[in-house]
Amino acid sequence: MTPRVQDAENYFGLSCADVQVYVMRLPGSQDARPRLEETDFMLKNYRFIFTLFVILSAWSASFTFAQPQPTQQATTSFRAVHVIGLQDVKHNAKGKVSVSKAALEFTTGGAKNELPISSIQDALTGADSQRLIGGTLGFLTTFAPYESGRFLSLFRMKIDTLTITYLDSGGGLHGAILTLAEGQAAVLKEQMVAQGVKTSVSVEIKSNQETSSKPAKGKNL
Amino acid sequence: MSIVFACGLSSLAKSPAQTSSQHAGPFKASAIQIEQIQSEGVKLPAEFQMSLYENVIEQVEKTKRFQHVFRDGALSAADAPDLVTLHCTVTGFTQGSAMARQVTTVVGQTTIDVHVLFTDKDGKTLFEKDTKGQVRFFGENLRATYDFGKKVAAVVRANFLATSQGSK
Repeated sequence: MTPRVQDAENYFGLSCADVQVYVMRLPGSQDARPRLEETDFMLKNYRFIFTLFVILSAWSASFTFAQPQPTQQATTSFRAVHVIGLQDVKHNAKGKVSVSKAALEFTTGGAKNELPISSIQDALTGADSQRLIGGTLGFLTTFAPYESGRFLSLFRMKIDTLTITYLDSGGGLHGAILTLAEGQAAVLKEQMVAQGVKTSVSVEIKSNQETSSKPAKGKNL
Repeated sequence: MSIVFACGLSSLAKSPAQTSSQHAGPFKASAIQIEQIQSEGVKLPAEFQMSLYENVIEQVEKTKRFQHVFRDGALSAADAPDLVTLHCTVTGFTQGSAMARQVTTVVGQTTIDVHVLFTDKDGKTLFEKDTKGQVRFFGENLRATYDFGKKVAAVVRANFLATSQGSK
């Protein structure tokens, strides 16, 4: 035991082990190795805290910029099938439809068809269903043995329809029909209305009608 | 088996579906304007209404009986000297079920009854006809509008002579 330890033990009335730990932490102590380790540990702590701070700052910044802005929400695109009515687009062409500030855009196979918002006269949604297995494969299933094609017809998926009435540059009336996944037509219509598209049936009224009414049937209703 | 049955049904249904009046022989006109489809007291979904309109325009253009096929509201239609106007009024609509149709073949058909009227530029009736668009077996409900467009095109072919140049 060193003289310093003996003095401390006598003066403070501490145990030998306590004093030894204290002495090792004193500046100028003969055993400097624990202090170096402690300094190293503190440095690592600072680095960790700094890194954590940077990560948190970056995360908060990204979160702030990723908040859905009104303009970004308007450019959300939906998968859609063009049934009929858009100029220079084939029937049953699959693509993506989105609403920008000035136009309704339908993109298919790299080609973009733009419909000016100002030319749209009306936008109406509807509900329908279609075979789960459609197209050429669906047609071929009608020839499947044991009438299994009929069985496959039982499997259907609900779809939404969006009917858009618009005028061309010469004043001619056009009607375009798009089909979308269930529930997306109303969202797209809301976005269109937000951009200034006129509609004869508001989204709220339409949703109420869909819940309360059944499909139209019968003559001269 | 089912296809043969469906074809038989469609051939049987052809005869009473179409009735015409005031047929004064084949006409000749360089332009036709197709008015928006109207419905008299029939609750017709918007997609059917616009699909009927678009299919009629497409099929009439394909007949190549007119140099110009104008849409409803087209400003340049007024300049055509011998313009014929086509008015279509839906008088009946039965929305069937595609699933029932595809499973059973015999039920679930979609039918659209339309009164077709052709007038000249002065509004005088050239001829009128009741025709029907329907889908019995293949296709979804909107295919009835395509069927109607084909039938209107057949009416145009039967009643109008081809002009020197094709449509468009």
